[in-house]
Amino acid sequence: MEAAAELCAEGGYEALGENQIAERAGLPVAKFRECFPGGEEQCLAEGENAILLEVVAAVSRSYSADQSEWESVTRGVKAILELMAENPAFAYLGYVAARQMAPGRAREMYESGHRMLEAMLERGGEYSGDRQQPPTTALGILGGAEAIIRRELVAGRAGELPRILTECVYAAFVPYLGQEEALRLAREGERLGR
Amino acid sequence: MDTGRREALLRAMLDELVAKGYRGLSVEAAIRAARVSLAEFEADFGSKDECLYAAYQSLADRFVARASARCDAAEPWPERVRTGLSALLEELAGEPRLALALTRAFPGIGPATYERYVDLLERFVPLMEEGRAYSEVEEELPGEVELLAVGAAEAIIFSEVDAGRAGRLPTMLPEILFSVLVPFMGPERAADEMRSAAAAT
Repeated sequence: MEAAAELCAEGGYEALGENQIAERAGLPVAKFRECFPGGEEQCLAEGENAILLEVVAAVSRSYSADQSEWESVTRGVKAILELMAENPAFAYLGYVAARQMAPGRAREMYESGHRMLEAMLERGGEYSGDRQQPPTTALGILGGAEAIIRRELVAGRAGELPRILTECVYAAFVPYLGQEEALRLAREGERLGR
Repeated sequence: MDTGRREALLRAMLDELVAKGYRGLSVEAAIRAARVSLAEFEADFGSKDECLYAAYQSLADRFVARASARCDAAEPWPERVRTGLSALLEELAGEPRLALALTRAFPGIGPATYERYVDLLERFVPLMEEGRAYSEVEEELPGEVELLAVGAAEAIIFSEVDAGRAGRLPTMLPEILFSVLVPFMGPERAADEMRSAAAAT
């Protein structure tokens, strides 16, 4: 799966083939087919699923009853950014290729992960008092953060992703809590990130 | 090749790309549709990829130009954002196949074409910078707030175009406007602008 993710980051889905993945992974093609009878599409989908599980695990570890919900969200975002910084090829697969290039199941995995994150963000509405947000607010929040993430990945700067924690935290909170509180939490996030 | 036939060829290439994907794209079918000869194609473009990149550049230029054409520099920034966004959404809704080419089919070919899409989004960033003056707090906003705003609009637009609902984008102007303005102006004033846009449409 790592070999498939690397090939995808280098040449997109068009560059993926059983032979290329097996060669990159140092495996006989027969072994690759034994692991992934559905070929490169299955390999890619399982790779996307692995990323999703890692993201869920990282976010879950960030939640604690001893801290405020805002701190948990901030720690969750921080964990996702660090995970991507450490795994640039998987990050590219998860954030760029699965959305734009991949067919079938990998795309479905991406969409399901996206819906999960949107649902988490929408909980912010419970804290927003009289403020009302349109139904696409959470999608917009994720889109803003992902635009920065994708730009960094495309530029080969995955290692820099933890530095955008401030932007991500601000984006996550501003529609629900207002600018002042979102900025305060973003600065707290900066301190957590150091 | 004259301008009209060149434009027809570029359009035909994007139509082919949306209909058949990159692997299935036929240059022969595109030049037939545009009534261009193979010799003319080869004189202007060295390859299928060169022609596709030129087609995408032309398309991106067109959408950026339409988004800024009706904006009056004398108007306040939120008003200009609304006008530009409205023009962009109308354009995407009116050309759903080109909207797919712009956001999905061409960027999805591979990393090199996806970079062009990232470049396209970056072209909207300078148009957002003035929004910082509308912040309701004294503290400086985060460094990438402009791209947060552009990315918010892109995500909502992408989602609709990808789902085959580009035609309803103009009706979504108020909520997309909210997502673009909220990082700069906060939720109350962004919601005021959203309600004003809804009332106007």
